[in-house]
Amino acid sequence: MAFFTWLQDTPFAHWVASDPSLLAYPTILTLHTVGMAIVVGTCVVMDLRLLGIGGDVPLTALVRAPRLVWTGFVINAATGLALFTTDAEHKATQKVFFVKLSLIFLALGVYARLRKLVFRTATPPAASISGEVKALAVFSLVLWTGATVAGRLMAYLL
Amino acid sequence: MSQIFRDEVGWLWPLCESLHFLGLSLLIGAAGFFDLRLLGFMKGVPLRSAKRFVPWAMVGFAVNLLTGLIFFISQPQQYAANLAMWLKVLFLLVAGINAMLFETSYSDRLMALAPDAETPVSAKVIGAVSLAAWFAVLYFGRMLPYLDPNPRSGV
Repeated sequence: MAFFTWLQDTPFAHWVASDPSLLAYPTILTLHTVGMAIVVGTCVVMDLRLLGIGGDVPLTALVRAPRLVWTGFVINAATGLALFTTDAEHKATQKVFFVKLSLIFLALGVYARLRKLVFRTATPPAASISGEVKALAVFSLVLWTGATVAGRLMAYLL
Repeated sequence: MSQIFRDEVGWLWPLCESLHFLGLSLLIGAAGFFDLRLLGFMKGVPLRSAKRFVPWAMVGFAVNLLTGLIFFISQPQQYAANLAMWLKVLFLLVAGINAMLFETSYSDRLMALAPDAETPVSAKVIGAVSLAAWFAVLYFGRMLPYLDPNPRSGV
């Protein structure tokens, strides 16, 4: 816990938490939402397509999606760490925060598995959408929904 | 009614916030996909099939309009005097007018475009305006509590 106390007391953490500039906490929090929209939005679009309820867009359209998912993920890892420092002692013991982190890592694991199963080649065949792929796509939607809700509940649950 | 929403149903606000965040992800993911195609990404993908995601963007928008109205009814004083709220509405109008302009004046012609063809400047402008406007809506929505003349706690 000494580490989290120290972290929360660094000049950086103080700047993020209490600088009156809109560029500090408000903008970092807003960028965290931008990153979420990019990661979750991209994964959801892929899931809907794999489930056959996102129309007939060729799977080739989604081959380069990881670039977007990674961009969003890097934004959110960086802004998430910055937000964590402002309230490190509390966050380190907040259950819903660990629920959120677990759901994100599970969702990214499912995403990696789907990339491997379907998007190995530049022109993925439609036949690569197996029962397992569809089940994983449903799982992905559930996990991202859970992660988003858990993130929001961090403002409400101890 | 605002009293009921705000004070008597404690779970309503976090529930609506969660739905609002899910709605924005769906909206930006689905609309952004089509916008990127208009900008010229994902060549080889017919615009017609890229557009099949747009109804999902509308689902996200409907969820957010409904939950947004609940926020407004619950705390009208937080929003009415808030500059961020009006900038958000302004960019909502920009996104809406841009989409209508696309539907009425450009859609038919662009849908006939060969999948491998370069998208025309008009398509690129519409795609760029749409992407920028939706992210501006998100930006001013999230900044709302911090530009609030009468801040509330627990943001």
